[in-house]
Amino acid sequence: MDIGRQLDLYRDMWTIRAFEQGLEREFEAGNVPGMLHTGLGQEATQAALAAHLEATDCFFPDHRCHGLNALAQQRHGGDGRSIMAELFGRATGVCSGKGGSLHSADPSVGNFGDNAVEGSYMATVLGVALAYKLRRQDRVACAVIGDGTVGRGEFHESLNMAAIWDLPVLYACLNNGYAISLPAAQGLASADIVDLARGYGFPCVQVDGNDIVEATEAVATAFDHIRSGRGPYFIEFITWRWQGVFSGEFRSDEEVKYWKVDHDPILMAAEKLLRLDVPEDRLHAIESAERERIEEWIRFAKDSPEPDLAKATADVYIGWEVAGR
Amino acid sequence: MTAPTEPHPKPGPRKTRKTRKTSMVKALNGALDLAMERFPEMFLIGESIGELGGDFGVTRRLWAKYGADRVRDTPLSEAAIIGTSVGAAMVGMRPVAEIMFADFLGECYDQIVNNAAKLHYMFDGQFSAPLVIRTACGAGFGGGPHHSQSVEGWFMNIPGIVIVAPSNPADAKGLLLAAIESDDPVLFLEHKALYRSRAEVDPGYYTVPLGRAAVAREGTDVTVVGTMRMVPMALEAAAVLAGEGISVEVVDLRTIRPYDAETVVESVNRTGRAVVVNEAPGTGGLGAELSARIHEECFHRLSGPVGRVDALDTPIPFSVPLENAIMPNPAIIADAVRRQMGRS
Ligand SMILES: Cc1ncc(C[n+]2csc(CCOP(=O)(O)OP(=O)(O)O)c2C)c(N)n1
Ligand SMILES: [Mg+2]
Repeated sequence: MDIGRQLDLYRDMWTIRAFEQGLEREFEAGNVPGMLHTGLGQEATQAALAAHLEATDCFFPDHRCHGLNALAQQRHGGDGRSIMAELFGRATGVCSGKGGSLHSADPSVGNFGDNAVEGSYMATVLGVALAYKLRRQDRVACAVIGDGTVGRGEFHESLNMAAIWDLPVLYACLNNGYAISLPAAQGLASADIVDLARGYGFPCVQVDGNDIVEATEAVATAFDHIRSGRGPYFIEFITWRWQGVFSGEFRSDEEVKYWKVDHDPILMAAEKLLRLDVPEDRLHAIESAERERIEEWIRFAKDSPEPDLAKATADVYIGWEVAGR
Repeated sequence: MTAPTEPHPKPGPRKTRKTRKTSMVKALNGALDLAMERFPEMFLIGESIGELGGDFGVTRRLWAKYGADRVRDTPLSEAAIIGTSVGAAMVGMRPVAEIMFADFLGECYDQIVNNAAKLHYMFDGQFSAPLVIRTACGAGFGGGPHHSQSVEGWFMNIPGIVIVAPSNPADAKGLLLAAIESDDPVLFLEHKALYRSRAEVDPGYYTVPLGRAAVAREGTDVTVVGTMRMVPMALEAAAVLAGEGISVEVVDLRTIRPYDAETVVESVNRTGRAVVVNEAPGTGGLGAELSARIHEECFHRLSGPVGRVDALDTPIPFSVPLENAIMPNPAIIADAVRRQMGRS
């Protein structure tokens, strides 16, 4: 992969990290309502997906995909500030504050919205893919799922139906080792999820989700496969989330050090770039630029008005109005 | 939600072209056929709905006419059936899904309740879910605990979903076409015991508006409100009561959510007495809702408390005598009306 492309991906990973770190700070300060799940530690997989998803494709982001949602907007002609504002519940948010972190959608860039019932869109993605197929559109419908959702019946219903109907679905499974606190090895019949998926008979690969080059190349191969009409594709990205559980860290110091220092996607990418003689200053400049950009989005979100209260009863039905008090 | 403002159509001869007696199954089949012709973005999806034509024959011959792309057989994957329908609807298709028995809606409850019903709202109008979920519900044939239930109560508390429940073949056809035209997600309840009921049905394309009740029989003494199989039962009771000098008005709700409170309230304010009839258990369902609404809105015009006829608060037993023992019937409805008249 050429250096320019690697630098773009490096920047995208910083967009995600800066976004999530800024958000975490604001959440802790009490400025962000609800619950917060961050994509910290999983930047490479999200950047790899964002680099391939066109605005005419579809992706269902999971609860850690704020960064992917923002990158989709950036890549398709906007910026991520309305994603940020949505997390603050503001009128300028992508869903006018009605969705929040777990229900942000932006169809104009292919973002079909998270669903806080984890993994439910494994069923929904089938319908989008079916429509693409019936209309003979070379589009990809992607579901971003966690290892925890592999336990759901919908996982199996979805892979089975995608297989029998040869649907253009990309399953991007982020195996970060745990569902809340339950280790994948304990919760799933195979800790290698790829082995569970293989039974459905379409290509399934397992890659290092923290190696941006490996992850990006895997996504490129999957998109080629799907766009050429050869049916579904499954990628298991091995990764790790910085966030423990709401009550704190439950993993060993050794494990934390391995993933946050030795196998951090951004540090790994930086090392590679330094070895290719990219000056360190350049990398620092990328980081600062992204941090600045995110601070601007946070200011925008905080300065934005709360939603008009009429929104509370708007859009329940298309054919009927719902009365206020 | 706002009640409809136009007055409901009075009963009377419907202006029809050629009419003949048609079963509800045939009427529904005709509606699907006409809609498939009219809407290229529509497709049917469900279990054995293709060559077989569905367990009850509602999709018969459509597979041969429209092909396997548009009449899609699925495995036993109810969540995927509704998920597929929702996803396709999000990109502008008009899926009509069949869930073989309403009792299986639990398998796809999440897709209906958390996804189809909410996505227009939670995504701020950016997506809509114009799908129809047809399903066979109701008791009356010894189907037992998992093939007989009336499920409207499971869904009544869900803003965003439309629940339609016809009582006769002509309404069934017009309501199904209206449901397919609707941009909101519709749960379309087909009562199994009514599938073979027959009536004159216009063979052409027509719609019956959603959200509007019909007065199935005009009367002046007592209003009886019900849906689906409870409507013919109420009409049977009304015929008997007419012989006793009691004039019963029967209101067929037709749409359960959002329902036509205006027609119900207008009728009860006129008669001053109400009996609410419901095939589901009485706790927390449609009967409870209607009774509460009538008490709230007609209290000063009522001669006494609203009467209620529900199924008993039990699962549905297999044995036909046991099933009959827990279900409403015309005699029980007639008794409830007599009590309203102080004649028990
Ligand atoms: C259907 C469902 N069950 C439970 C939850 C509560 N929950 C939220 S996140 C989560 C863990 C999900 O694990 P995984 O898919 O591995 O994602 P991760 O948080 O590890 O990224 C659970 C159980 C939920 N939101 N939805
Ligand atoms: Mg996990």
